[in-house]
Amino acid sequence: MSFEKKVEQSIQEVMSVYKQIHSLPQPTLLREQHYQYLKKGLRHLSDAYECLDASRPWLCFWILHSLELLQEPIPAAVASDVCQFLARCQSPTGGFAGGPGQHAHLAPTYAAVNALCIIGTDEAYNVIDREKLLDFLWSVKQPDGSFVMHVGGEVDVRSAYCAASVASLTNILTPKLFENTTNWILSCQNWEGGLSGVPGLEAHGGYTFCGTAALVILGKEHMLDLKALLRWVVSRQMRFEGGFQGRCNKLVDGCYSFWQAGLLPLLHRALYKEGESELSQQRWMFEQQALQEYILLCCQNPTGGLLDKPGKSRDFYHTCYCLSGLSIAQHFGNMDNHYEVILGKEENRLAPTHPVYNICPEKVAQALQHFLRMPVPEVSRQPGGSGEDRPSDAAAASSSADLQS
Amino acid sequence: MAESEEEVDVLVQRVVKDIANAFKKNPSIDEIGVIPCPEARYNRSPIVLVENKLGVESWCVKFLLPYVHNKLLLYRQRKHWLDREALVDITCTLLLLNPDFTTAWNVRKELLQCGVLNPEKDLYLGKLALTKFPKSPETWIHRRWVLQQVLNQVSTLDHNKNQQQAEAVQADAERNEQLSDRLARTLRQEMKVCSDAAGRYPSNYNAWSHRIWVLQHMARGNVKVLHDELSSMRVWVSMHVSDHSGFHYRQFLLKELIAEICKRPAHTSTSCSPQRGCSTVPEGSPCPHSRSHSNGEPSGQEAGGEEDSHADFTTVLQLFHQEMDLCSDLIQSFPGHETLWSHRRHVFYLWDQWVREHQHSCSRGSDCKLIHLTDPDPGVPEISSQSCAGQGHGVNGQKHASEPMEVDGLFLPDPHNSKRLKRGVLLPCPPTLPTELSFVSSVLGGCCNTEQRHFALAYRKWLDTVIGLQS
Repeated sequence: MSFEKKVEQSIQEVMSVYKQIHSLPQPTLLREQHYQYLKKGLRHLSDAYECLDASRPWLCFWILHSLELLQEPIPAAVASDVCQFLARCQSPTGGFAGGPGQHAHLAPTYAAVNALCIIGTDEAYNVIDREKLLDFLWSVKQPDGSFVMHVGGEVDVRSAYCAASVASLTNILTPKLFENTTNWILSCQNWEGGLSGVPGLEAHGGYTFCGTAALVILGKEHMLDLKALLRWVVSRQMRFEGGFQGRCNKLVDGCYSFWQAGLLPLLHRALYKEGESELSQQRWMFEQQALQEYILLCCQNPTGGLLDKPGKSRDFYHTCYCLSGLSIAQHFGNMDNHYEVILGKEENRLAPTHPVYNICPEKVAQALQHFLRMPVPEVSRQPGGSGEDRPSDAAAASSSADLQS
Repeated sequence: MAESEEEVDVLVQRVVKDIANAFKKNPSIDEIGVIPCPEARYNRSPIVLVENKLGVESWCVKFLLPYVHNKLLLYRQRKHWLDREALVDITCTLLLLNPDFTTAWNVRKELLQCGVLNPEKDLYLGKLALTKFPKSPETWIHRRWVLQQVLNQVSTLDHNKNQQQAEAVQADAERNEQLSDRLARTLRQEMKVCSDAAGRYPSNYNAWSHRIWVLQHMARGNVKVLHDELSSMRVWVSMHVSDHSGFHYRQFLLKELIAEICKRPAHTSTSCSPQRGCSTVPEGSPCPHSRSHSNGEPSGQEAGGEEDSHADFTTVLQLFHQEMDLCSDLIQSFPGHETLWSHRRHVFYLWDQWVREHQHSCSRGSDCKLIHLTDPDPGVPEISSQSCAGQGHGVNGQKHASEPMEVDGLFLPDPHNSKRLKRGVLLPCPPTLPTELSFVSSVLGGCCNTEQRHFALAYRKWLDTVIGLQS
């Protein structure tokens, strides 16, 4: 039996057991269990020991974001501990590394900045050395517009997203920094409509999200073939499972609930800006209910935490992205026009998440407010750069303002 | 069972040594794995070597990994010294257990750069790691770094050779031969590593991406390699009909081949000129003797621009036709696989694009007339009955709709081109919108598999909305 058939069968079993137990299907988000799981993870976040993990900032982000979606408060002491830990992950030459003493890398940099913005205290904001961060971004910038993930590393489209995300949130973004980046990202869109890691490769959910979100930050998303992208991503929602696959003919995976479904809000807004008249005022262009069903019925570990698909183990990565996807599926629109579709009890409702940064919209606004008060740092690389590079406020601010206004 | 730190230390040192010795004893180890074994039962090494397989009993991993990991980190922080041999052994152990540990690969980069390690060692280590961790991103990334070092080495040598052109040409030619042999060998090895990894994990994005990278960097413009890959992949994809990455690789090969074929003007075989250097496997290796070895290269060997551009079109058409044929065959044999339909879309899309781009350049020669694929405009006077090969029957006896009288879009050679007629080259019928629609109809007519129906209908919708709208 093929893998696909096996997955479908296991999901079928889950669904039928569920229907047997419950006369009226009322899928329930296991809030308490998830909270306990996350709390345990939180406790070890700022442990001093040298851990095997080169992803400590990621753990911070995944756990903190999951808690904010569940609307669980983060104790002040823990928040402070996390700030201090992330400060130790910051490289003396700028950017954040996977752990103390390691080299800076764009992925943990993205995670660290997001985590600090979720905490949102002055202590958190002050951890970030903006001048050095800008130096780091310059050090990984390539002449063709792309970014390597770390000095001496390889290029892929995630790096552009990580760079654009942190630069826009902390107000160190200048047009020069992202010169040619738009064209490079565009060259990653292939005939299928999705984006690949590097131009010429296969379209892939994670990379597609990163490329698209980066372009949204840069204000250039309209330059993509939006219709082709739309065709590609909607084809990635599995007709039987309800969840999303990462690529054509692959298996469903809970994490793509965010990476793929998260594209629909971005596309919706982009098409709206292009004057598309047929857009719904209430729904995203994917089956929101089916996705919620998949996540709630098939992706929850009964003792807490979320996962890829039935039979897989839980982890914080899947917990974060399953919950993020659930939030996307529950909330349509922005503060002006907000429409909710909550499958099951009202208690299943999560906080909305910002579709570009994937932290809560209030946290985005707060961070922008804080950092926009500061001048864009001058870079040593820029000859005579003072006053020349004004912050590119349009893209970043408006993308969040839209969701707020 | 609480192990004291000393005991752990002794154990780990022994294990690391045992692993190193295993490789010395058997340099042909070709696979690694963890043997599920929750407890150390006898006082013996957890390293098991059976024929060419190296196993590590699982009970020791929880001691081994953190310990060795920590040792390496301390070394990096200059808190603990390790000599070169220890570094080699420790990183080897670490990477076989956790090949995504970037720091360990970085230590090996340094060892490579100062000559302690040779590149082959790391390629071998990577190959082994991939037998257990076929996706490991860091392993593939390191592999590309190593290959880049090898390529740099080769082109440096080549450059140096050029500087002494006055001297023994014979010795240079031999060395050149060795270089390109080495490259060809390396290329073959990489293809094998990618293939194995692709077989170990379905739709292995990293393995296939690496494969593409290797061709782009080690066989750029090498039509023979592209053709060989295309033909050797036929069998593989036929056995992995859901492997989207495998089919994407074919799409890449097709695109590259066509670009190469159409790039060359009135050409003779492109030999590897000395100035260019030999850091890619030359077309008719070994260079510079390539002029006499064409190695079965396809059309394009003759001089004469018109002939050549026509031969190009024939080749391109044949390539597309063969690909569509393969696709139809698989779709019929394996109903309900989305990848196959996705592949069909792509191939048709490529063909459609190519036709649009070459409409004008094609009609430059008096030799052929290309009618737009969806253009209903007739205006086709005489049609040579020879011009459409294989038009009656496709795969599995399925009839193509394109009869000789079909006016809606045909690639027609000028029937008055006597040279061509003399050669009796029969052209396959090109894919067209109508032929594709008819393919869909025949599938729908014949199948009861719901998935297959769904994909067929979706393909038709795509043809109508995406392709149809472009005309």
